Amino acid sequence: MSTRTILDPTGEQSVAERARLARPASLEGLTVGLLDISKPRGNVFLDRIEERLVGIGASVKRYKKPTFAKPAPVDLRHEIATECQVVIEALAD
Amino acid sequence: MSKPVLPDGFVAVVKRDCETCQTVVPVLQQLAAATDLTVYTQDDPDFPGDPEAIHDADLAVSWHHDIETVPTLIRVVDGQETERTFGWLQSEWRTFTGIDDLGEGLPPMRPGCGSKSVDPDLVDELAVRHGGSILRSRRIEVAEAEDEIEMMFTRGWSDGLPVVPPTEQRVLKMLSGTTRAPDEVVATVPPDLVDASVEKVAIAAVMAGCLPEYLPWVLTAVEAACNDEFNMHGLLATTMPVGPVLVCSGPGTRKIGMNSGINALGQGNRANSTIGRALQLVVRNIGGGRPGEVDRAAHGNPGKVGFCFAEADHESPYGTLAGQRGLDDDVDAVTVFAGEGPRGVVDQLSRTPESLANTLAHQLQAMHHHKLVMAFDAILVMGPEHARVFADAGWDRDRIIFELHMRLTTPFDELVRGAGDIDEGIPAQAASGFLAPDTSDGPTSLPKFRSDGLMLAYAGGGAGLFSSIIPGWVNGETGSKPVTRAVQY
Amino acid sequence: MHDISDLELRGVPGVFVASDQFVTAAESQSKSLGYSAMARVFTPHPIQDRTDEEMIAYADAAFDQIVSRVTAG
Repeated sequence: MSTRTILDPTGEQSVAERARLARPASLEGLTVGLLDISKPRGNVFLDRIEERLVGIGASVKRYKKPTFAKPAPVDLRHEIATECQVVIEALAD
Repeated sequence: MSKPVLPDGFVAVVKRDCETCQTVVPVLQQLAAATDLTVYTQDDPDFPGDPEAIHDADLAVSWHHDIETVPTLIRVVDGQETERTFGWLQSEWRTFTGIDDLGEGLPPMRPGCGSKSVDPDLVDELAVRHGGSILRSRRIEVAEAEDEIEMMFTRGWSDGLPVVPPTEQRVLKMLSGTTRAPDEVVATVPPDLVDASVEKVAIAAVMAGCLPEYLPWVLTAVEAACNDEFNMHGLLATTMPVGPVLVCSGPGTRKIGMNSGINALGQGNRANSTIGRALQLVVRNIGGGRPGEVDRAAHGNPGKVGFCFAEADHESPYGTLAGQRGLDDDVDAVTVFAGEGPRGVVDQLSRTPESLANTLAHQLQAMHHHKLVMAFDAILVMGPEHARVFADAGWDRDRIIFELHMRLTTPFDELVRGAGDIDEGIPAQAASGFLAPDTSDGPTSLPKFRSDGLMLAYAGGGAGLFSSIIPGWVNGETGSKPVTRAVQY
Repeated sequence: MHDISDLELRGVPGVFVASDQFVTAAESQSKSLGYSAMARVFTPHPIQDRTDEEMIAYADAAFDQIVSRVTAG
């Protein structure tokens, strides 16, 4: 019987904890998205991260969200999800 | 799991346990030599051997690509299927592949066999394995040693009776009862005002014990109950013993086997018992409406587990309740009414409509309190024996209701607080008109019901000179208005 | 943090980089998202008045940690 997993019948108002996605063994050959949250100086930080990533064999795509104050627009998130295998978001202070 | 992409060229799906597949092995060899051919085998990984096949062990390729018959031959261009043929028809395979001598020497035609992916023993399991991803609800693992029914009690998801564990398999099957998308929002459910999707309602329907064909009725009931007009929130919060009562009518009630006859308001019929229960499980688990919390009922009533019955509309001398409320009598419809448990009316001697109307009026007047008027609606459920007395006399629905209203008008001085040595009653200032009596007797008397507050339904066994009254909760703006909806399939 | 949470739901492993002023906020926010385990790396504070050289030094110092949060190695 496959009755060992059941579906939650509630409105799921209480938040369930989830685990991290599985990670790749290395970044070599992968496309890494760098998402700039649009705070001053973050670009300098990300420029350096980009150099270092390229140095270990990753290719990098840069993205910038319109404002750090809100989540990135859904189109941008969709774009990153379709173009990248890994994402790094920076730099909040 | 997402749909596997097929390799370009020709794709053949076969299984050893199919004579036609065995027959076409030389054809596959010929195709492999002349074209890009990929063979998937559903059973034996070593079949056909030459050419070598990929084992579709979990049947993902077959299921996602809707293989119903083996052999199936598919042409794939740029990862997309452009055409397919199945079974063995020499002429068609030759046209399909452009190979003129394909299968020379083989019989011209052999029908295919059923694909393993549509095997009735496997099909539900495959739907879960490959189609379960359409379900968005949180998955909850039941630990090895745990009994899932006990676990559902422990988590507080039961109305006090065992519920059927909502497995992916059962919920997917339930969803086959409607054409509506699982993620469609059905209603916002009080008291927590949580959006209930078709999927969540289907989960409640599984738990209640519904069959898939009941689901459209459950969905309609949820829509009818969860809105400002019906005021499910108020119904929960009240201390009165009321809950949602579902009155179903239309030919669809017979298709799903609802009971409108003997013991219609009682136990023993799966559809009657589970549709109303599913609505209450939606309110409990999705809306968060639980007794002792938002549900403040002093006594409650056993109908709050679920109270649902069908009208015998095909035999009714006065149409349906849904008809009284403005729908066509032959439409599949659900009326939700804020009601108590039913109480019987016995009159085994009245042979005239006047006499029977007098009896019914006395019992209706007594509902809640004989001195409290215009605050509560009611449904009067008549069965064949009482209804016949009126039908034989030529009284239709309007006449019955009119005659009852006439008999349910009481002089004000009998209703006022203190009258009859009973403190309960109508406040004295009501005589000056705030109840706005709409009877010809003027402000010196008051009707028991507001003008549309008395409703008739028709159900019950053929023998028994009885009726049943379902008294309501507070009506109007501060309380609940009955809501009637056509069933959406 | 919402972005990383959402991108992980879309199947892209991610890490959130912030200054150490953000440690407590990140903790409570990730919890309310039902995702306490969200990967995050912190740099020293302040940021906005740092020179390019100083920012590059922050990046170099954080780089190995960032990579380790998005790889299984």
